[in-house]
Amino acid sequence: MSIQTTQLRKTYNQDTDFPVHAVKQLDLNIEQGEFVAVMGPSGSGKTTLLNMIGGIDIPSAGTVVIDGIDICSLKDQALIAFRRDNIGFIFQDYSLLPVLTALENVEFVMQLQGHSEKECRERAIALLNQVGLGDQLHKIPSKLSGGQQQRVAVARALAPSPRFVMADEPTANLDAKSTAELLDIMQQLNEKEGTTFIFSTHDPRVIKRARRVIVFEDGQLTEDRVQ
Amino acid sequence: MLIKLAWRNLWRNKLRTSIMLSAMAFGLIGVVTMIGFMNGMYGNMIDNAISWQTSHVQVHHQGFVDNPEINLTIVEPERITADLAKMSEVIAWSERFIVDGMVASARSSRGVRINGVDIDAEARVTPIATSVKAGSWLPSEGRHPVVVSSKTAQRLRLKLGSKVVITFSDADKDVTGAAFRVSGIFSTPSTSFDDGNIYVRRSDLMAMAGIEGSHEIAVLLDDSNSMSNALAIMVRDKIRLITSNENSVRDWQQIQPMLASIIAQMGPSNAILLGIFVSAMGFGVVNIMLMSVFERTREFGVLMAVGMQKHKVFALIIFETSLLGVTGATLGLVSSLALVELLQITGIPLGNMAEGLGAFGVDTTLYPQVAASEYRYIFITVVLVCVLAALYPARQILKQRPVDAMAEKH
Repeated sequence: MSIQTTQLRKTYNQDTDFPVHAVKQLDLNIEQGEFVAVMGPSGSGKTTLLNMIGGIDIPSAGTVVIDGIDICSLKDQALIAFRRDNIGFIFQDYSLLPVLTALENVEFVMQLQGHSEKECRERAIALLNQVGLGDQLHKIPSKLSGGQQQRVAVARALAPSPRFVMADEPTANLDAKSTAELLDIMQQLNEKEGTTFIFSTHDPRVIKRARRVIVFEDGQLTEDRVQ
Repeated sequence: MLIKLAWRNLWRNKLRTSIMLSAMAFGLIGVVTMIGFMNGMYGNMIDNAISWQTSHVQVHHQGFVDNPEINLTIVEPERITADLAKMSEVIAWSERFIVDGMVASARSSRGVRINGVDIDAEARVTPIATSVKAGSWLPSEGRHPVVVSSKTAQRLRLKLGSKVVITFSDADKDVTGAAFRVSGIFSTPSTSFDDGNIYVRRSDLMAMAGIEGSHEIAVLLDDSNSMSNALAIMVRDKIRLITSNENSVRDWQQIQPMLASIIAQMGPSNAILLGIFVSAMGFGVVNIMLMSVFERTREFGVLMAVGMQKHKVFALIIFETSLLGVTGATLGLVSSLALVELLQITGIPLGNMAEGLGAFGVDTTLYPQVAASEYRYIFITVVLVCVLAALYPARQILKQRPVDAMAEKH
């Protein structure tokens, strides 16, 4: 099980005089169970890369193949179903539903998969306990700290049992303590359950903990190292 | 979960939702009360027309309908009345001897329709006997009593016991006349009816006319639904089967086609009222939903990113607006129901309008009427318009790819 990109390219404003080449001819292979940090300065194309391999953005050229499926060729509804079942997302701003409690936020994505209410409830509670929020189940996001919200986001990303988790600068809004706690949680999940984590970041604390670091500059891969 | 999410989303901006719900509720109270007022007015007009003028079914000689000649009496009226006595739907009937003539006092004279009636039968068919404001209904004893309206009494300067002379053309086309004494003064809701009718005993009038018989048989049915003439049609057809072809049998809508047209236009006029309201409300809901949906564009992007199918996103938006519609319509209709119930007790005094509307047979106090089916119709219309109002904002969101929606900075 792996993610493979071939000659992946993303160009914004393609039909204008000033096209922006966010990702240029990228060939990349990420295996199941990796803990990968994609680093680079702002505007280097990290988020665009994550969006494309996460199936929420369409490349201008090239392919993204996950477990032998070219996700770029999937129709809209099939792609949404593929994302739902295989890919979890963690966003910089947490992006939790503000009107749902921590527990409901986690349950919600499982319900999209069609699990029973009981199953959703049990797994959501287990995941929130795992991220240390067992006593905050019924709080809405605005009553939680940034670190706690990001932990709910992690539990939400993991709830549908995805094989890959895309985390777009997950620690950008967190203090040092929260960052360390979050990274501990993700690292544990990666080691215990074999979930693949791919981060975009320029946070040295995250880069330090990653086992593989991909450096991105101006839309091009400049370095790919295992630590 | 979708409905729960939709309900909570609806109350994210409590002030905005409350303002919209208040606008819907107050608007509905206005519309429902207006519909109730119109229904009450038209219903009252129809009820009064049936009570006082047409009854449910009338029988005449065919020629009398177009040309009320004194000689055009009903053919074999006794056969009709014998059959009416056997019909369970019939409450009462009244045979009338009707002529157009003049009533004159010492001061003035007026052209009127002189209704020669059987005292007890007429009192069973119309409320005339109970609407005598001064004196009494026609007595069976005494020489030539007449009951006139208060309006006629005023114009001819009559009071109880005053003498009037009634003249008309008899069966031989000769002018005949006799003196009558006012035994009672009546008043009905219709000023135009009051203006043109007086009552005497049928026997007195037949003696003056020199012929016997009836010009009109008015039939009152056991029918409380004044908006339908179905029972009247059934009885009309029964009478037609047993009566001579020379007679004309008509139901109340045929006698007064204006009543039929009032009933026919009540639906469209109420629909126009409701249409104006829901159009205004629809634009309000579109505005609210556009604001509500577009300020959450990023959130919808996230929902799609985490695997929410587009039809579920669409359903979420539709649930939100449906809940808005259901809540607004429920609030509005419950408040309207309470107000209409209250007005049905207190009534709406027509004040200065009463005089003008009296010409159309409308009472001085109106009681609004709103049928359960109208409440249902309004509820469904409001919810449906709310759902339609959400289609545009929903479509705008669904057109977006998750990454574009998430890039929105709302």
